[in-house]
Amino acid sequence: MNALPHVQEIFDRLRRGSHLSPEDEPAFSAVAANPEAYAEYFEPLGLKLVRHPREFFYFAPESAESVPDTLPRIAVFSFILIDHADNTGKPIEDFLLNQHFFISRLPHLSLDRYAALLRQVEIEDAAGLRQVLKNMERLGWVKFHGEDEFRFLRPFHRVFDKCLELSATKGGETPLPQAEV
Amino acid sequence: MKINPQRFFNFCANHAPLLRGLAEASGEISEADARRLIRTTGNSGDELPETTWRSLRELQILVPAEAGSDFYFLAEPVNRLVAYLFDEAQAATPEIIRGYIQSLEALGKQLSRAIDGDDISVVRLALEEIQQTLRRIQADLDETHRSILTEVARYKTERQTISVRDKFRRIVHWMDRYVDPMVEIVREDGPLRGTFDEVERLLNRAREHGLFNDLPALERNTRHLRLVSRHALRVFQQCRRELQPLYESLRRSSFIAEGAALALERLQRDGLDGWIENHVIASCSLRLQDVPGDGAIERALRNVVEHPPESAPVLVLHTEENTPAAYLRHIWLESLPDEADGNLPLADLLGWIINRYPQKDTADTLAGFTRLVFDGRYSARFTAAESRAYETHDGELHANPVELTSP
Repeated sequence: MNALPHVQEIFDRLRRGSHLSPEDEPAFSAVAANPEAYAEYFEPLGLKLVRHPREFFYFAPESAESVPDTLPRIAVFSFILIDHADNTGKPIEDFLLNQHFFISRLPHLSLDRYAALLRQVEIEDAAGLRQVLKNMERLGWVKFHGEDEFRFLRPFHRVFDKCLELSATKGGETPLPQAEV
Repeated sequence: MKINPQRFFNFCANHAPLLRGLAEASGEISEADARRLIRTTGNSGDELPETTWRSLRELQILVPAEAGSDFYFLAEPVNRLVAYLFDEAQAATPEIIRGYIQSLEALGKQLSRAIDGDDISVVRLALEEIQQTLRRIQADLDETHRSILTEVARYKTERQTISVRDKFRRIVHWMDRYVDPMVEIVREDGPLRGTFDEVERLLNRAREHGLFNDLPALERNTRHLRLVSRHALRVFQQCRRELQPLYESLRRSSFIAEGAALALERLQRDGLDGWIENHVIASCSLRLQDVPGDGAIERALRNVVEHPPESAPVLVLHTEENTPAAYLRHIWLESLPDEADGNLPLADLLGWIINRYPQKDTADTLAGFTRLVFDGRYSARFTAAESRAYETHDGELHANPVELTSP
């Protein structure tokens, strides 16, 4: 068991809700090389290591009694970005995952409707947006390139999964692809 | 009214952008809109807009939607001509193809009757009409194919802002309206193939019957039937292959967009209460507080493992040989009120107890005294006598005498 490489670092990151994607070397390669061994190692602690079909890892969340304030903010921020991509006719996944964004050019504060939604989670201005992105960076969903520029990482697929789940629930359809262990 | 072809084509040559604009308007167009289009597209000469407008009506390029109406539509022959010239294909609907099938079925019956009645002229007419219908089917299939390819290309290059969900709805419309029903019609066990087989059987019969001797015409028809049948299936399989990847990609995008829109709509409508539970993307949060170190855990485990074994307590379950002293004391105390009853009033209660039970020690003597003083049936009071000493079995007490009486 103790022979698993980087297990301390991996545990410390995953237990905080972070996700491991190819950006997180050497931890990611260590887990990707032997995911079953890591899953088995964490299992006695009640922690379930999830391997997402898009090839990233995270600990399955338990049904928490209290949700941190950061998560609703991240959700609203992400849903607005997807809504914007849809309205502008862009292929959503390709648009969000394959290009760089600038905080100063985000659409979130350009529409009153978006601004009102953000106020519900206490985001009032660009500084609030930056804070959300910093929180997403801690989760391993975003990578900054300088102060203003950033891009979304592979684990952002969890937002797409949530959207598909919501859409399927509404339409009574079978939810689309989910992660496996 | 007869239209002069030369004047018609001269007008068309000088007003190509206008004709295209009218064709793109699709459906009815008001006089005001038509005049606006004339002004914006202009013409190659110095023609006045009013002259252009008059020519459009005189040449029957624009036809009134109804008598006296201000609304017009582009005459269908002109529409087809423009579509042909600008390579703007229009997809054939399944109803059109079904119409052709019905037409072929009717022609088949006509042909069958003509063969039975040895009516060569009707056989010839039927064959010509079958040939014409087959050409139309082939032309419509080609046009449908081209229009679907155009639509796919438009999706990929379109700069106009159309939401992903709208794009998906349009693709679904193409799939549902054209491709899927068409494949049902033209597949190998579908109605088109069934009708073609029947017509081919009749053509063979006409050949075998021998009265109709234009064998090349019969063979041409047979070849054409087989060609169109194969072509139809191939065209729609190709169409489906063109649309399928676009459909899949837009389907997923559309569902993602729908999910996000739903979440935002619910947040806007219901507020944050209850929203978090179903819409937030949960993540693991394992908080560590006052966690013992590895050394402490190891020490605790070692303490447990190395703890010396201790035998379990043994319960004595047999009957005791002697009556317990506490039980005897309890019996004595409870018997005192009955004992005192026969001797009331007692002028000196403590003296009476010591005299009557001289073997009792000080503690028992005082317990007996307390039992009788606090008994509800008796009344106890200090007498006026001086304090005196009382000797018990194991000590001495100094007290004022207490009298016990019955109230």
